[in-house]
Amino acid sequence: MNDIIRTEGLGKYFGEMAAVHEVTLSLKEGLFTSIIGPNGAGKTTLINLLSGYLLPDRGRIFFRGTDVTRMRPDKRVKMGISRSFQVMNIFPRLTVFQNILLPVLSRLNKNSRPLASLRSQKEVVAEAEKTLQEVWLQEEKDSPAGELSHGDQRLLELGIAVASNPQLCFLDEPSSGMNPIERIKVLELVKKLSAERKTTFAIVEHDMDVVFSLSDWIVVMNRGEILAEGKPTEIRDNQEVRDIYLGEEI
Amino acid sequence: METLAFQGLVGLSVAMYLWLLAAGLTIVFGVLGVLNFAHGSLFMLGAYFAFTFYGLWGVNFWLAIALSLIGVGVVGYLMERLFLRHIYHLDHAFQLLLTFGFILIFDDAVKMIWGGVAKIPAMPGFFEGTLSAFGRPFPIYNLFIIGAGLLVAIVLWLLFEKTWWGKMVRASASDREMASAIGVNIPTIFTGVFVFGAMLGALGGALGTPVRVVAPGIGSAMIIQAFIITVIGGLGNLKGAFVGAVIVGVLSAYGILLFPVFELFLIFLIMAVVLMVKPQGLFGG
Amino acid sequence: MKKTLAILSLIVLLFLLPLFAGKYILYMTIHIMLLSLFSLGFNLLFGYTGLLSFGQAGFYAAGAYGCAKILLAFPSLLVGIIGGVAVAGVASFLLGILCIRHTRIYFSMLTLSFGMMIFSLAWKWRDMTGGDDGLVGIPRAPLEIPGLIRLNMTSMENYYYVVLVFSLLAIFLFHRIVHSPMGLTFQGIRDSETRTACVGISVRNYRLISFTIAGMYAGLAGALLPPLESTVTPPVAHWSYSAEPVLATLLGGIYTFPGPIVGAFLFYVLKDIIVRFTQYWLICLGAIVLVLVLGFRGGVVSIFYGKGGQG
Repeated sequence: MNDIIRTEGLGKYFGEMAAVHEVTLSLKEGLFTSIIGPNGAGKTTLINLLSGYLLPDRGRIFFRGTDVTRMRPDKRVKMGISRSFQVMNIFPRLTVFQNILLPVLSRLNKNSRPLASLRSQKEVVAEAEKTLQEVWLQEEKDSPAGELSHGDQRLLELGIAVASNPQLCFLDEPSSGMNPIERIKVLELVKKLSAERKTTFAIVEHDMDVVFSLSDWIVVMNRGEILAEGKPTEIRDNQEVRDIYLGEEI
Repeated sequence: METLAFQGLVGLSVAMYLWLLAAGLTIVFGVLGVLNFAHGSLFMLGAYFAFTFYGLWGVNFWLAIALSLIGVGVVGYLMERLFLRHIYHLDHAFQLLLTFGFILIFDDAVKMIWGGVAKIPAMPGFFEGTLSAFGRPFPIYNLFIIGAGLLVAIVLWLLFEKTWWGKMVRASASDREMASAIGVNIPTIFTGVFVFGAMLGALGGALGTPVRVVAPGIGSAMIIQAFIITVIGGLGNLKGAFVGAVIVGVLSAYGILLFPVFELFLIFLIMAVVLMVKPQGLFGG
Repeated sequence: MKKTLAILSLIVLLFLLPLFAGKYILYMTIHIMLLSLFSLGFNLLFGYTGLLSFGQAGFYAAGAYGCAKILLAFPSLLVGIIGGVAVAGVASFLLGILCIRHTRIYFSMLTLSFGMMIFSLAWKWRDMTGGDDGLVGIPRAPLEIPGLIRLNMTSMENYYYVVLVFSLLAIFLFHRIVHSPMGLTFQGIRDSETRTACVGISVRNYRLISFTIAGMYAGLAGALLPPLESTVTPPVAHWSYSAEPVLATLLGGIYTFPGPIVGAFLFYVLKDIIVRFTQYWLICLGAIVLVLVLGFRGGVVSIFYGKGGQG
């Protein structure tokens, strides 16, 4: 199986503190990967480095063999990497439909047309509608995104991430801050997207039921470094991993 | 050679007024996160108040300075308490717009109260005269200004590094929620810092009274220079404000000497160069 | 449907205006149209792209001085106007490269600074700009396309029609732009720059495009000024002049298409009224800004249509 993304000795430091240190890992295409670890383990920093939101101090990142270490986020998206954010990052004043329309326009390189009317872009509109249905937000199409319920905003957040048809998609704590009902819905959507799309997903998640039921591969981080990685069963049996979770049921 | 050295000294004294202005601006930004466009107007008010007390009413020079600081402090207090406080939660753009509205008000208010003509004030007795520097006569008052500016720099450093108040203010600046959680009264600190910054700006204006023209419009001219200084030095950084002020002050002086008419252009050029090389300013993070 | 009818009636009214209105009204209407263009450009940057510029007068001046210099050498109205817009476009593109790479706060400071740099150039570069006397004796050159038409501009009515046609075309173009994919990109940048980058768009490039278009609209407004007034002086580059589109847009409504135009109209009406009572109209303007920012951020349009208006 191919590596879709791999890193060599990745490091990011804030003064004395190592947020991410000596991280060498590779994610395989088609395998659903979960990145887990206690708070402050460096999971979000890792996602930020891989998606281009932050630049590393050390090490390199390769996406399908291409060195993307210092590539800007927008260029990485064009290469096929996308992400969602832990803290909601949608376009609040745009309608739900426009939120999805923009990434689709960008993907088809049609977002720069200054004189075309939005409605006339039939192909783009059709695809945006399809994606909207995929994330169950068809009803809210014309509402300003900022007025959606918290749970629906999270669905939209996922919709924006997949609308660019990525090959690799990072989801940073997709169910954080949700009440139990919303959580189920969001995680159902993640499951559905991973089953129906050709995208390789990598998520940061705390809910161990979800992690173990969805994942083909698990990466465990602690204090900025990779503690362990492997198949769910291997991780479940790993004593060091059990220790850092202090006897939690995993 | 001596002309250059002398001009550098002239530039240094000009730099001190800019330093006082920029210090207030950058402290307010660093702590409150607000860029006060009207800060130059507070400088101007300081100059007008000092001129009125000292130049028109014959009050003792030092007392006049103190009174202008209090006067502008009150103006700053009202600005923050009655207006600025209500929009901290909004997008930065609205804070900029609000303070921009204040520039319009202050500029015209000053014309209304004092008239539109430029004032030329008188020199306090004990500062009269000149010293010889690099073969040319250098006003003693300008030496006083350089000294005052350096004194303020030291005092500010001590204040923010060594005192309890300074530590609280820095804590509030870096993490509002945390500071609040440990009992720091954020609204009071904000008002206090804003007033403090306003008074620093006013000090710059007031100290300039015996040598600089007091006129409507000096506020907006100064704010442009203060912006250039903070861009060069890095917003929110006191060290950057000092270094930036010295750079701008000295370069303006050389500009006037070597490229008259286009000295302002020279300053903009320096700013553009700094921005291309280090977008967050020399000391910015 | 009602909206289209209202707009069409307004356009017809504007075309018929010279038949029953005196010179002063035509003069005022021209100024309102110039401020509308100036403000639309400003709002492309602010309401649509999230960038607050206090230096747009610099590009207005570039258009005004550019047109004036051309007309003084080569009296053809079209060449003057298009030339003015081109000068403003180049200036905004070049300055834009410096300004758009920064955070929004630095951007605002930089635009104020560069605007004043242009002011100081206009004021001091006597050889080029006439210094504080400015450029005088600018002809209201005829509108001519060789071989096609030649319209004399000596009457106010004729010039009014030129400005009206240019304005309507520019407004129509603006409407297309903001409702296009590019317009959506600008709004994405306003709402969330990080997110826009993370859907594959170069935020920097589009900020620059927005800045250049805004500069060209300011330049168009500026270029239409010299034939009207026959002089151009440095105050048109001053930051207080940059304040006019800011205020007009804030007054009319930041988050809407017609806001700047409504605001331009209200601005002139207000100015006309206030100036009769006091010469200190900047204080009133400043007070109006305070009231708007504290309570009516969506401007007049939002009061009537209840759209957007939250900070």
